[in-house]
Amino acid sequence: MSDSAVRNLTALFSRIAEAMESAEDRLSDLDGAIGDADHGISMALGFKAVVAELSHPRHDLSSASAVMNVVAIAFLNAVGASIGPLYATAFRQAAQSLAGVQEIDRAAITIMLQAIATGIRERGKGQRGDKTMLDAWLPAAEAAALAQTRNLVGPAFWQEVVSAAEHGANATSSMVAVRGRAARVGERSLGHVDPGAASAVIILKAMAEALPAV
Amino acid sequence: MAAKTPSQRVANPSRQGGDVGQSGIPLRFGNDPYVWACWLYYEDGLTQGEIADAMGVSRATVNAYLQEARDRGIVNISLDPAHLASLTIADELKRHFGLDECLVVPSEETRPLIGRLAIAGALSISNLIKSGDRLGVVWGRTVMAVAERLGASALQDVTVIQATGSTMATFPYTPDLCASAFAKALSARCVNITAPAIVGSPEMARALMSEPLIAGQFAELAEANRIVFGISSLRPNSTIHASGFFESVSLQHYLARGAVGVMAGRFIDERGNLVEGPLDARTIGISLDSLAAIRTRIAVAGGFDKVPALLALLRGGYASVLITDAATARGILNADGVTSIHQRPDAPPRPLVPARTHIKKFLNRPGDAVDEMLDGAQKAYARYIVPVADAKRVFVARTGPRQGKVGLVIGGGSGHEPCFLGYVGRGLADAVAIGNIFSSPPPDPIALSAEAASGGAGVLFVYGNYAGDVMNFEMAAEIVESRGISVRTVLTTDDIASSPIESREGRRGVAGNVLIFKIAGAACDLGLPLDACEAVTRKANARTYTFGVALEPCSLPQIGRPTFDLGPDDIEVGIGIHGEPGVARERLRTADAIVDTVMDAILKEMDAVAGDRVAVLINSFGATPMMELFIIYRRVEQRLAARGITVSANWVGPYCTSLDMAGASITVMHLDDELAKLLEHPCESAFLTVL
Repeated sequence: MSDSAVRNLTALFSRIAEAMESAEDRLSDLDGAIGDADHGISMALGFKAVVAELSHPRHDLSSASAVMNVVAIAFLNAVGASIGPLYATAFRQAAQSLAGVQEIDRAAITIMLQAIATGIRERGKGQRGDKTMLDAWLPAAEAAALAQTRNLVGPAFWQEVVSAAEHGANATSSMVAVRGRAARVGERSLGHVDPGAASAVIILKAMAEALPAV
Repeated sequence: MAAKTPSQRVANPSRQGGDVGQSGIPLRFGNDPYVWACWLYYEDGLTQGEIADAMGVSRATVNAYLQEARDRGIVNISLDPAHLASLTIADELKRHFGLDECLVVPSEETRPLIGRLAIAGALSISNLIKSGDRLGVVWGRTVMAVAERLGASALQDVTVIQATGSTMATFPYTPDLCASAFAKALSARCVNITAPAIVGSPEMARALMSEPLIAGQFAELAEANRIVFGISSLRPNSTIHASGFFESVSLQHYLARGAVGVMAGRFIDERGNLVEGPLDARTIGISLDSLAAIRTRIAVAGGFDKVPALLALLRGGYASVLITDAATARGILNADGVTSIHQRPDAPPRPLVPARTHIKKFLNRPGDAVDEMLDGAQKAYARYIVPVADAKRVFVARTGPRQGKVGLVIGGGSGHEPCFLGYVGRGLADAVAIGNIFSSPPPDPIALSAEAASGGAGVLFVYGNYAGDVMNFEMAAEIVESRGISVRTVLTTDDIASSPIESREGRRGVAGNVLIFKIAGAACDLGLPLDACEAVTRKANARTYTFGVALEPCSLPQIGRPTFDLGPDDIEVGIGIHGEPGVARERLRTADAIVDTVMDAILKEMDAVAGDRVAVLINSFGATPMMELFIIYRRVEQRLAARGITVSANWVGPYCTSLDMAGASITVMHLDDELAKLLEHPCESAFLTVL
């Protein structure tokens, strides 16, 4: 039915898993400064499980939505913790938003990013400025929508999205964490980039690499 | 002055020195002219000339005595460390952001920040404002507080000009009130802006600005040579939201465009650039460009939530004088990448200790650690627990759920062993779900354990208050309830270090878990209904107080190095159980001194009187041996006994660990008759047995 969308998404998650594995140490170091130092491990583990599950023959991957639902469950069951439910909800929202989509084009990416940001915000009850991954996802989703209205394509589109996310992630170093385990560290979280925002940038960069020509 | 004149001292030296020794030096100075000279100079505050008269020596001799006394160390001149630190930070801020002046008030807990900032602000204003000056005043809570602290002024011909339009909102620091307060304190002429700060349309703003009256007021503002202002953050707790000054719809617009702060009604982003939006053309007040052109720009603000806003303000160059507090100042510098505040060059270098980069562990493949551990534990504890079906990380008590009994489900990340699976058994938990290291299990295994624990009378979830656990257990509760099993939840929040008492519900659950599980397990075992089990568990949590201290960080199997750096003489106070940093870093002290700090904190919160009973848990985080735990317990018992409090139950050992962290926590549960009885109720599990 939508073979190309399914192929694109599986390729996308393979690329994310690779990127997360090579960033595992760096993310865990970031987390060590304000949390329990396992963010890199959890992210690498989660996407590794996603890739394994997507290649499992028991799944009927006939649509973009079906792929995203498998991704959500695989990530959640491998990780737990707080990012498990956050990303699982994000991917489940993405699955709903991609219903009927045949092609992972610029429009599909834009609604997917919007769905991911919304899912994370609703599950975590957070907002921008809380020093979380939302500080990367929300600007990225907005930048995608704006780039689409400006009719930017391919690398120019991704350039806008990734730099908005990077900018947002860097800004977290001047924020005091109010959610998650880092919140207990209070003002000592200042000067450190939030590891969740940093890993969101890695996901977006991997997306840009896997689907350069949207 | 009249009562303590130097001449009186000369006439009758014994008046101030007691008996006089043979040399004419009062006896209490031990015949030492240096000490006598120093006493008169530093303690009595006499001048060198007066001392020369009193001692009957020349002024040059007095000068030499004083110098010699300093050289010989008889007199040590020291600055209070808190004040010294704030001076150093002020210098660093001044240098880093090119400020003309910076005043940093020392951090302290006892007095409210706004009052301390206001005193410092008033001091700066009194120093900076001269006769004939024209001072612009931007409204704000802190600015108003500064005005209230200004003393009587002898200045002449000062003009105070309101820097923005006015508002109908009724808060005690409106633009006109702020300007009037400054004018009154400085005996100044006051120029108010007689237009609203925000008007209905850009056209209206333009029309008003061209009115001669208002144009004249703005002409006065343009002549200002000093301005005082604060900055508001846009965080949800900011007064900006409550003041009613801005429409909240518009605020959202600015937030979405990256605004981090607002000053004089203008929004700025993290670089200090103006963020444009729907209010700008409708705002009547000083523009950011005009503000930045004023010669002396005094910003007064503090508090952690204002760090991004203050950083933006400083980056944008809006302030030439900054008044803030030490903690905020340190936050600003940290956030801007200044990690080490300039040290005095004569500070002794720290001894170099080679950092341990790899921790030895008994492991096969690090990624298999959790599953291999559970495999071993399940065999070791086979008398108490059985795995549920083919779920690898869910265990149910061998005694199983009983019909008509509330099922108790506990769980959380691994790395805390024997927590949680050591507390599954008769009179304790009925089932447990285990996650990755320091990570909540996902919803599915939790739901499985709830079904395994259910005996038809409902299920009680008891787990630590962490964002991840809450999300996963809540999702699990939804699944289980959709299958017709009632679920109640009690979040444990016993860690008193993790947030102030006002936000107790935000605290995390740590080693006190074990005692709270014990109470919940006993209530369930006695066959109490779900409501009663929940209520008594909630009470147990409310009466349990834990405080932890780490001596060394822990290390994760997959990473193999410490989760954070801790200097050779440092301890981490207020630590949790996940290898995360604590709330403060302090110097290592004696065991009793550390225990006293912890017990002071616990006793301050626990409303216990002589004759009360408590249960005590001294918990090792993994690497601290029993020897040290007993040393700790000894002091805890002494402190409680000194208050007439009886320890009616105690546990000492590794009950809730943080992998290989060195350190310990002290938990005190304040008992009442019901809790005491439930604590004595028999239970039998791998790690906690009461007969």
